[in-house]
Amino acid sequence: MSKVDVNVNVHHLTRVEGHGNIVVDVKNGELVKCELQIVEAPRFFEAMLRGRPYTEASHITSRICGICATGHATASLRATETALGVKVSTQTQLLRKLLFHGEIIDSHVLHVYMLVAPDFLGVGSVLPLAKSHPEVVKRALRIKKLSGDLCAMISGRHTHPIAMTVGGFTHLPTVKELLAMRKRLVAAREDMNETMALLKTLPWPRFQRETEYVSLKKDDEYAFIDGVVATTDGFTYALPDYRQVTNEYLVPHSTAKHCKHNRDSYMVGALARFNNNYEQLHPRAKAAANELGMKPVVTNSFLNSGAQAVEMLHCLEDSIQLIDQLIDRGLQEEPLYQFQGKGGEGVGSCDVPRGTLFHDYIIDDDGLIQGANCIIPTGQNYANMEADMRALVPQILDRPQEEITHLMEMLIRAYDPCISCSTHFLDVEFL
Amino acid sequence: MNPTLIIGLGNPLRGDDGIGARVAQALAEQNLPPNVDVLDGGTQGLGIVNMLEGRQRVIFVDAADVGVAPGQFKRFTLDEARLLGNDRHLSLHNASLRDALLLAQALDMLPPEVIIFGVQPDTLEWDSTLSPPVEAALPRLLAEVKLLAISGQSLVESW
Repeated sequence: MSKVDVNVNVHHLTRVEGHGNIVVDVKNGELVKCELQIVEAPRFFEAMLRGRPYTEASHITSRICGICATGHATASLRATETALGVKVSTQTQLLRKLLFHGEIIDSHVLHVYMLVAPDFLGVGSVLPLAKSHPEVVKRALRIKKLSGDLCAMISGRHTHPIAMTVGGFTHLPTVKELLAMRKRLVAAREDMNETMALLKTLPWPRFQRETEYVSLKKDDEYAFIDGVVATTDGFTYALPDYRQVTNEYLVPHSTAKHCKHNRDSYMVGALARFNNNYEQLHPRAKAAANELGMKPVVTNSFLNSGAQAVEMLHCLEDSIQLIDQLIDRGLQEEPLYQFQGKGGEGVGSCDVPRGTLFHDYIIDDDGLIQGANCIIPTGQNYANMEADMRALVPQILDRPQEEITHLMEMLIRAYDPCISCSTHFLDVEFL
Repeated sequence: MNPTLIIGLGNPLRGDDGIGARVAQALAEQNLPPNVDVLDGGTQGLGIVNMLEGRQRVIFVDAADVGVAPGQFKRFTLDEARLLGNDRHLSLHNASLRDALLLAQALDMLPPEVIIFGVQPDTLEWDSTLSPPVEAALPRLLAEVKLLAISGQSLVESW
């Protein structure tokens, strides 16, 4: 058979309308233009859900993103449950937290190892890294397998959390499965220690810029699901008031809206959670942060990846504790929620791997969704990414263009952006 | 672990990109031989690498620009095609089947046989249905994927 050129890069096809371009224009040493140009998919969220039964919302929205499937599903369920006045049991809350930890580890391990580490280790991508440091990449895949299996144990499927439903779970893990998972999690401490040992050796770029950090917050735990919206500038809001934080506005160079609160921009994500919720971290995670020299408030955006590694440790340790609690309580089949014929409006929020995610639904008395809004983490970070770029460029102007380009890419990459699942490449253009 | 695995890839909310997920769903509801597994791989990107472990033959179904009319598809192996793309990524959401297979190759984790069904899409807009030409292609695509999975199975059992 003759050799044909075939492009099976789905993302190249599906993300054709989306680009993340960095545009930097420096004239006579003056920064004239510094923009992250985002062309986002059209606002599709409400159209996707309007008229659909509330029972379908979490399954539909979990498909928005293959990496944050559980995050979208959980935010969706919380919005629905709040709208319908559904109370969830302690068992359901514990299982959701455990599942969520799985997704945090799953996402962070890939970002830290497959995207960030190659930058620091002087290889262009994870492919040469797999040749030069196969043990590093294999460790990442091992951790990824563990977190994927953790998710599958609870949600019933690796890719999408089908067992999670309004008010509870349609499927429960067995004690045997939980015990086997606990053993693997304990054994994975070694891989986590190796991860921190690797991160300690990485030459993190020096960069500082104060900004406002926004995340969910709870008094008694490192918040991923529910809580209040808190900022390092001292504001807190109840979830129904999320729009007072996000304040979306349009900018000319991007079809994605930007967000701002107390300053010109704010940041969400692992670093924001770390800065807001450091006290609620597991002691081992705090110790790891200490080894990286991280104490709140950390204002180096590159260290978002460091905060991700710290969160991986936290989630691993907390998963072990959650499993112990579940086993001690004993797992019980619980009756599933039955619709009561009364709709309502509700906001659900989770701090997903890339930051705070909001789902907001209006459900009518027939159980059909009549209105829906969704604000994704990366959308909230755009303005902050640009502010970082504007601060960084003047500091590195004396360096070769290639190095400037690379540092800018690393800066944007540190945010672990998702660009609404609509982009497939990054072009750096010097005008 | 069963030697043969069929993985459907893509996002069912993005029009014809959902073809892989549709195939996975349809095959999961059919009577496949007991030693063929089916997975809906969604938009997992590099996570695909972990799905390959221990398999003899992995069959992917994915939307792809294979240079034919919408709804038509091509079947090929990694020796018969060069997967295009670039290695420098901004985010995890860029990672594709190509990246996952190249990574598996670099780590010597590729199964002995990797076969890809690339289905030419018509539209990739946000839409939870397939376009008419791709929908129309579904029965033949299912039959071909199934035939390959099953006939491969017989070969593995060396009859």
